[in-house]
Amino acid sequence: MNPKSNPFAHQSSGARLAESAAFGLFRGATYFILLCATMIFGVIVVKGSGTVFKASPPFVNWTFLTASPETLYVFEFEGKKMELGDKAFREFKAARGLDEIEAESYAHSAGGIWPCITGTFWLVIGSMGIALFIGVSSAIFLSEYSQQGRMVELIRLAILNLAGVPSIVFGLFGLGLFVHFMPVVAGFDDPSTPSFPIGFGHWLNFSGWGICLASGWFTLAFMALPVVIAASEESLKAVPRGFREGSLALGATKWQAIRTNVLPYALPGMLTSSILGIARVAGETAPILFTAAYVMRDSAPGGGLLDFLGQGVMALPYHIYVISSKIPQNEFTERVQYGTALVFLGLVTAIAMTSILLRIRMRNRYRW
Amino acid sequence: MNHFWEKNLTEIREQLLLMSGLSERSLSMAMRGLVNRDETLCDSVEAEDSQIDLLEIQIDEMVITYMATHGPVAKDCRFMLAASKISSNLERIADQATKIARNAKRLNQEPLLKPLIDIPLMAQIGQEMLRDSMTAYVEAKPDLATEIVARDKSVNDIYKQLARELTSYMIEDPKTITRALNLLTVAKALERVADHVTNIAEEVFYLYKGEDIRHERGRKAIV
Amino acid sequence: MNATFETRMDTLPQAARGSQQGAPDTSDPMIEIDHLDFYYGANHALRDISLQIPGHQVTAFIGPSGCGKSTLLRCFNRMNDLIEGTRIGNGQIRIHGIDISDPAVDTIALRRQVGMVFQKSNPFPKSIYENIAYGLQIQGVRDRRRLDEVVEKSLRGAALWDEVKDRLHTSALGLSGGQQQRVCIARAIAVEPSIILMDEPCSALDPIATAKVEELIHELKKNYTIVIVTHNMQQAGRCSDMTAFFYLGQLIEMGKTEKIFTNPVQKQTEDYISGRFG
Repeated sequence: MNPKSNPFAHQSSGARLAESAAFGLFRGATYFILLCATMIFGVIVVKGSGTVFKASPPFVNWTFLTASPETLYVFEFEGKKMELGDKAFREFKAARGLDEIEAESYAHSAGGIWPCITGTFWLVIGSMGIALFIGVSSAIFLSEYSQQGRMVELIRLAILNLAGVPSIVFGLFGLGLFVHFMPVVAGFDDPSTPSFPIGFGHWLNFSGWGICLASGWFTLAFMALPVVIAASEESLKAVPRGFREGSLALGATKWQAIRTNVLPYALPGMLTSSILGIARVAGETAPILFTAAYVMRDSAPGGGLLDFLGQGVMALPYHIYVISSKIPQNEFTERVQYGTALVFLGLVTAIAMTSILLRIRMRNRYRW
Repeated sequence: MNHFWEKNLTEIREQLLLMSGLSERSLSMAMRGLVNRDETLCDSVEAEDSQIDLLEIQIDEMVITYMATHGPVAKDCRFMLAASKISSNLERIADQATKIARNAKRLNQEPLLKPLIDIPLMAQIGQEMLRDSMTAYVEAKPDLATEIVARDKSVNDIYKQLARELTSYMIEDPKTITRALNLLTVAKALERVADHVTNIAEEVFYLYKGEDIRHERGRKAIV
Repeated sequence: MNATFETRMDTLPQAARGSQQGAPDTSDPMIEIDHLDFYYGANHALRDISLQIPGHQVTAFIGPSGCGKSTLLRCFNRMNDLIEGTRIGNGQIRIHGIDISDPAVDTIALRRQVGMVFQKSNPFPKSIYENIAYGLQIQGVRDRRRLDEVVEKSLRGAALWDEVKDRLHTSALGLSGGQQQRVCIARAIAVEPSIILMDEPCSALDPIATAKVEELIHELKKNYTIVIVTHNMQQAGRCSDMTAFFYLGQLIEMGKTEKIFTNPVQKQTEDYISGRFG
């Protein structure tokens, strides 16, 4: 067919050229992201797996996952180069009756990261609970109960702005409010803080909670709140108005309508989006820097509830921060750095994946 | 499923049947009044006419209400049109019956011009046609309706023959003119009855088949 | 007003429903509206509306979109309370003779008496059984046998029992559109209201489902007073006894449906119902 007779034949024009250029640019930008992500994941996975996995059975380095961090001692003994953790090093000396062995010590480079894993776990669970409770409650209030108007818009704006606050500011806020100021009940009048007698020989001392799980929970929870509230409001809005009207028209109170016909359908969305938000917050170092994280704790927090809340924890992000910037760097610390990073990455990915899978399942269950 | 508005259609149908029953009765009473020379029968025919007129108005009201509120289509729509037309034809049949009764009263005052043979025959055919057309309507038999249309011709033939006969009476003896004209009027009324019944039968056919079989000859001539 | 809304609401409809034995008393107006003015913020949505809705009849509200017919309908069970900035400027709505905007009126008690079916069928994503039992459950009824009874009675009332009796415990969302709408009607009658408001109940349904719902409306008027908002002229014609035509927030004409549809008094009404509007 000759081109003149074909009105639909290809024609080169400026518009076509511009399209190719724009398309190429978008493609390039996307591939660039892919490249960066691959590099980050690649380096961590490649270097980290050397620490987390072993070449011989059982393939997983259980010590790294289940032991506490220890100082690594590197020394020469009878012509052989030895690397031993703190405990093993002392046993080694005791067994041979030696008082002193010339050894180089590297902090945190032996043992494992078990207390960091549990610490992170507790931080996530607690802050998730608090953030969900406060966030969902206020989202219900904002979108279902409050009179829509300037006041509510202002509150929404404030919450939105909260999301823009740098994490270090949250850390300092937590330090000021929870660590140094929040009241504790004690059997004595603390002269160094404002304190009020509450009877029964007890006083409310505004001495702060100290660096502990509770402070960390609230600080992290506050940081996650904007995400949780936004996600919850979104989920509430996604529930068709007909469900509310339907139950109200049957003579339900507002709370009955929300409880029976809005929340059950909004909750899956609220939970999954919130979990995603919290998982990201759990990766933050700054908020727990001053409020909950310890450089070193041998044991996981335990004891009664109040004891448990009053204890600080080790946490993966803070641990990474410490071993990669607070101690002398060398080949031994690098191993632990990458190992910890890989475990942390895996943990956060697992949480995110769970919430995404959960959301897909929930979506399929409720369709209207 | 028996829809709630079927009730309205049934009501219209029942009113139509009532009307056809009354019209047929008027016709037979008028004929008996003529044949038996019974003046009271003729009077009651005239009296009953207004009831039939009332029914026509009622049916039209029901039809227009139904059309306005239900927006009937297809068969329901044809049903509405047919109901209105059938009722108006039935009303005309009753009018013809009244006309027969009125002429019968006049005829009864004088001796018969000739024995009544053709006129009762016409009335009999007309009544049968009417009964059959209502059967076709109630029992949804469009074929019966077409057959009725064919029967109209025989009534017309009898009328033409009777007209010729009465004309010859009048030519022979002008004194018979009044009676002959009265008889002719009765015959003409019966011929009109058959025409109205034919119209009804055509409406019934249209109702069930959706085809118009009126004025076949005229249309063929144009085509 | 000495009697509280609760007590009068509880006794009166029972008396009204007692008329099932005899002929329904249609002369008694169920809903009376006196010079009602209604505002959406600054928008004067309803202007000086006065009308009376007879009991045990179907009253249809027709009119172009935005004419205020749905707004008026939602005044009857105070669903407009849910919308910010709405208020009654003037006038009164009386149901069973009681001014429903009186502060002594509890919207919850009111809505149990004045049920509503919405434009978009909105069954809850629960089982059919739970949908019907919902109204009673929120009233605190836990007795399983009573709930079973009410569910069956309501579904029979909505002409749905035979279609769903074998799958009462499957999701109501698995039903067809028409069945869903009838579930909503069953749900509304389960709490035994005396009035059922229907806001374009068939606008999302196909003609067959529509016919079934209309059939149902025709059945329901024996026991309930029904007010239906519709855009479908034929529907108003087919199922209603009374028709009210609204335009720009005003009641233009109200009367017997046959009268409105065959010989309306107002030219606007005639233009609207014959599709010559605007």
